[in-house]
Amino acid sequence: MGTLLRIELFKIATKPRSYIGFAAITVIVLLIELALWLDGRSYLEFILQALEQSFQVQGNLLNGNLVSFIILQTLIVQMPLLVALIAGDLVSGEAASGTIRLLLTQPHSRASILWAKYFATSIYVFLLIFWLGLLALGGGFLLFGAGDLVVLKSDELIILKAADTLWRFMAAFGIAFLSLSVVATFSLMLSCYTDNSIGPIIASMAVIILFTIIGTLEVPLFDRIKPFLFTTHMIVWRSMFDQPLDWGAILRSMWILVFHIALFLGVSFFHFTKKDIQN
Amino acid sequence: MKSFIVFALMAFGAPGAFTQPAPKALIHAVHQKFAQVKDYSATVRMEFDIPSVRLTPVEGGVYFKQPDKFRIKTEGIIFLPKQNPYFTLQSIRDTNAYVAIFAGEETVQSTKTQVVNVIPNDNAGELILAKLWIDPARKLILKSQLTTKTNGTLTVEQGYGRLQGSALPDWIRFTIDVARFKVPKSVAVDLSASKNAPSLPAKGTGTIQLVFSNYKLNQNLSDAVFAQGK
Repeated sequence: MGTLLRIELFKIATKPRSYIGFAAITVIVLLIELALWLDGRSYLEFILQALEQSFQVQGNLLNGNLVSFIILQTLIVQMPLLVALIAGDLVSGEAASGTIRLLLTQPHSRASILWAKYFATSIYVFLLIFWLGLLALGGGFLLFGAGDLVVLKSDELIILKAADTLWRFMAAFGIAFLSLSVVATFSLMLSCYTDNSIGPIIASMAVIILFTIIGTLEVPLFDRIKPFLFTTHMIVWRSMFDQPLDWGAILRSMWILVFHIALFLGVSFFHFTKKDIQN
Repeated sequence: MKSFIVFALMAFGAPGAFTQPAPKALIHAVHQKFAQVKDYSATVRMEFDIPSVRLTPVEGGVYFKQPDKFRIKTEGIIFLPKQNPYFTLQSIRDTNAYVAIFAGEETVQSTKTQVVNVIPNDNAGELILAKLWIDPARKLILKSQLTTKTNGTLTVEQGYGRLQGSALPDWIRFTIDVARFKVPKSVAVDLSASKNAPSLPAKGTGTIQLVFSNYKLNQNLSDAVFAQGK
């Protein structure tokens, strides 16, 4: 398994598209940090204008914690697309380039080959999130300093003590990893069904965009569908910044995400181990 | 308009106005008591109950120096009233600057108080009208309601203990009118917000309570203590 995993990681590392995600995250994070560095005060003044009519708000609001939170909630919507770009190509890419038959002639079971691909994608997802965390938290604290976190909601502000934020960010990154693993396994599953590399990537992106739109639109018909969409539970990382924490809802969503990972992996294994490789 | 308010308050507001001690004398006595304190520092615990804002209690240091320097120092973010806690006492310092009218008696914190309305002579100031509930026996303001030009109505209630002789309260509770907090979902990037969430009223009241302890009086505090950012 170790050799297979190394081979899969090598394949991911040699594809130029694997670096698009890291480049996109770097550019977006730096742009957000620059924008907040220049205009963050006016952004906060706009948000707090109703409250500042009645109160004077004292303390460093624009700090590394707030900047990291803004980056996280802006980027988390885009990151599934970056993951689909890699995971959607894992099996179908081999089929398209004709290397799948060569791969399957090795003395390894099809299941272990697919496990290696899954673990390699998981490592890629982990590195992507680690890079996001490093840039967001590291850059945020370096440029804006420490301070209490103002959790922005459309109708509420939650202020968390600075000492109470780091573990929440770590938990949020953990949940984000779980969420992106759902996308990775979904793309892997689609990848097992086709022989061209672009199809599963586009299909994954289309499904995520469609589910996100359904989740965002306030239409009564969609309200009944939302609980069944994995994208609804992918944003549960945000609940880690609630006060008090709704552990019931968080754990329920995490279980639903784990269920989706198991389901998509199960379907992938079922199909891949029985797949008739013809080219 | 101001003359009409004064006339109306005298005519209808205080049937016993002419049997009570002069309200300005009472206010002067209250201020004299507070004027003994040149400066102080203390520990303060702040508790917040503000609609749409979840903020756990915060502890910090509080500093005051006559006549109007006031500063609260904390590690984190806090919400404070726009006026400092001694805004009322500062507003009534010059007894020639306002009209004071006795407006009856009411019980506040189980204490019989005299209600005095204060109307500033100068229209340019921030204060439009102050209603004070004064304990005549201890010469302490137990409650005040301030109508201001820019910040609406603010109610301040205070309870006294060991340092009532210096008119320094053990606690102060501010009740403030608050507009509903609402920002577009796109600005807050709040994808989890739901229209099914219970809608909040357009306006409400928020309270901030300051609980003081470890008072240290008349230490000749430097002005540098009150400089922002230190």
